[in-house]
Amino acid sequence: MLVVTCPGCSLLCEDIELVLKTGAISQAKNLCRKGYGHFQSMFTERTEPTIDGQKVSMDEAIVSAAEILKGAKRPLLYGWSNSTLEAQKVGIELARKLNATIDDTSSFCQGILMERVLKGRVPTCALDDVRNFADTSVFWGADPSNSHPRILSRFAYYPRGEKRQKSYEEERTCIAVDVRRSATAKLCPNYYFRVPPGGDAEFIGALMAVLEGKIPKFGDKKRMIELGTVLRKTEYGVIFPGLGLIYSLQEKMGLLEALVARLNEIATFKVVPMVGHYNMRGFNQLLLDETGFINRVAFSDGKATHGPENSVIEASKSCDAALVIGSDPLSALPFKTAQRLAKVPLIAIDPRRSLTTDAAKVVIPSAMYGLEAGGSAIRMDGVKIEFEAMMESDLMSDEQILARIKEAI
Amino acid sequence: MEAVVSIVTFRDIFQYEAGKKGRYTPEYQDLSAQIILDKQDMAKLGLKDGGKVLVENDVGSIIVAAKASEDDPHPGLAFMTNSPWSNHLVRDDVCDTSIPGFKSIAAKVSPSGEDITKIGDLLERMKA
Amino acid sequence: MVSAMEIYTLLPKTPCKECGYASCMAFAVALLNREKKLEDCPPLLEPKYAEKYKKLKELLAPLEKASETGLIIHPEKCFGCGNCVVACPVNVAAEPTRCAVGLGPQGEKVILVVEDGVVKAQNIKECRRFGPNKVLCNACMVTCPSKAIEFV
Repeated sequence: MLVVTCPGCSLLCEDIELVLKTGAISQAKNLCRKGYGHFQSMFTERTEPTIDGQKVSMDEAIVSAAEILKGAKRPLLYGWSNSTLEAQKVGIELARKLNATIDDTSSFCQGILMERVLKGRVPTCALDDVRNFADTSVFWGADPSNSHPRILSRFAYYPRGEKRQKSYEEERTCIAVDVRRSATAKLCPNYYFRVPPGGDAEFIGALMAVLEGKIPKFGDKKRMIELGTVLRKTEYGVIFPGLGLIYSLQEKMGLLEALVARLNEIATFKVVPMVGHYNMRGFNQLLLDETGFINRVAFSDGKATHGPENSVIEASKSCDAALVIGSDPLSALPFKTAQRLAKVPLIAIDPRRSLTTDAAKVVIPSAMYGLEAGGSAIRMDGVKIEFEAMMESDLMSDEQILARIKEAI
Repeated sequence: MEAVVSIVTFRDIFQYEAGKKGRYTPEYQDLSAQIILDKQDMAKLGLKDGGKVLVENDVGSIIVAAKASEDDPHPGLAFMTNSPWSNHLVRDDVCDTSIPGFKSIAAKVSPSGEDITKIGDLLERMKA
Repeated sequence: MVSAMEIYTLLPKTPCKECGYASCMAFAVALLNREKKLEDCPPLLEPKYAEKYKKLKELLAPLEKASETGLIIHPEKCFGCGNCVVACPVNVAAEPTRCAVGLGPQGEKVILVVEDGVVKAQNIKECRRFGPNKVLCNACMVTCPSKAIEFV
């Protein structure tokens, strides 16, 4: 029986017990449906090294990748959030060496909020603090039951903690703010606040008014006042913004900052972004330490510049080669962006088949982290988690592949 | 007969699981090539639960199955899981923060007799 | 879960009392509590009630799967979130350093554990809904995001 860490989402649960047999999982304990699906995927649709759909050796694929990148004038290196810190570090070095543009999934995900968190503009805490101290958890534009299934049972609502021994029955409140009655909202029906899409700015405005003791001009007045009361009675509140809130506020993220600052005049309030991929935060932190920016960086003779033109969406319009690592942008990005990426010479580094590997010129198979390769990652709350390879594998890790490509350039 | 909707994408654990089995599996298609419509909107379009619809806008068009919503009424609002089908309709022209409108996809919905769009077709359109 | 009323509407409603109850409604309740079986109603077995008998059998089928405490799990609906594992008072008492604080159990005394991505029940006799001093504990049910756990 192996005790493993699950890289299925950014909770990075470390209490997973696996019994493996040849070619399958014999028994798995404590993995949620999402994590179980992730581990099961180790056994199907694995990639092989190919160039233009023809099977080649790893060496040939790596050399071909290096040639494509070396010969490109505006290479784009994208993905990163499903790689370890060690791999991401090599990736950033590679981008520097190539004078490439480097961007990760945070660019169209949690980036706007993560920047504020990493730069200290928004107070944050560890998930263990949530479990030990939080008496109010607010899931805003997020449905953790479907995206981070164990966050409620491990940290935010159901477990006992140092100051919350009576837990959800008496000492914790869970609030869901969403455009739909999600599975999570159904768990706290009395504290489900429905917001129209794009209405979060007004919702925040109404809440600010309530906190001033004024009558809100938006939403159900009685319920907004109720919400204000709950927040006023809170000792340690945690807001978990999901993509629903991020996409709604976008450049108006300052409104959330202001709300959190106001709430901190009443009690302790923290923000933990609902990061999806297991090491998105790790990449943002590394790139921030290296360049002062969390994403969307273009290197030129060692200097790093930042801007929307370096986002994968924009850069796809002008790049002449792309390296995609641990990500499937052809499935996840807008159609026209996917079209553009499908047309340039694409190098895909991935353990499994995806739309992106199907369109790639060069496919390089990689080891699956948590099982076939080890490393470290930063959990959604900033805690560093380390995990080891659980088995022998002939497959190279992202870190090793990138190092070989860098060497070959 | 058509309805104008704004599509919001969401996460579904079963669709995620199907995606992990493989992007080309029938399970992934079933759970992704789906649009959840308000019951009133479905009635206006004369649709039965599971009926096929054409969903189109300036970016592209797809044929998916329409499901009746079990949520509180939300006329004009539709829901799809995040997938190559939903992303086929997402615009890439963006505002300052360069985030596409993944959760505000404007589209027209109308009943259709055609087959549900396969993921292979979507890939072919990307390569075209 | 089917209600006593729904069962009652499908019974012969004679009331002949051959089942041992004063009214067909009482028999309906007894069916739900699994104190009686459909076959304990002789009129129901007559050909003219064949359709109703078939329908009743369908409605009562889930009860067959239920444990003695009346616990039914629908693994195909389960998210594997572990809310029930952490909320169950028996689990919490048995594993104060694990289930009580959000982790998966390590011992064997627990009732609910997430295995292969979904919840599994064991040691059902330890459940507080069982036995002479039973209470109507429903922690596992109210904490489930997908109605994967219910009681008859």
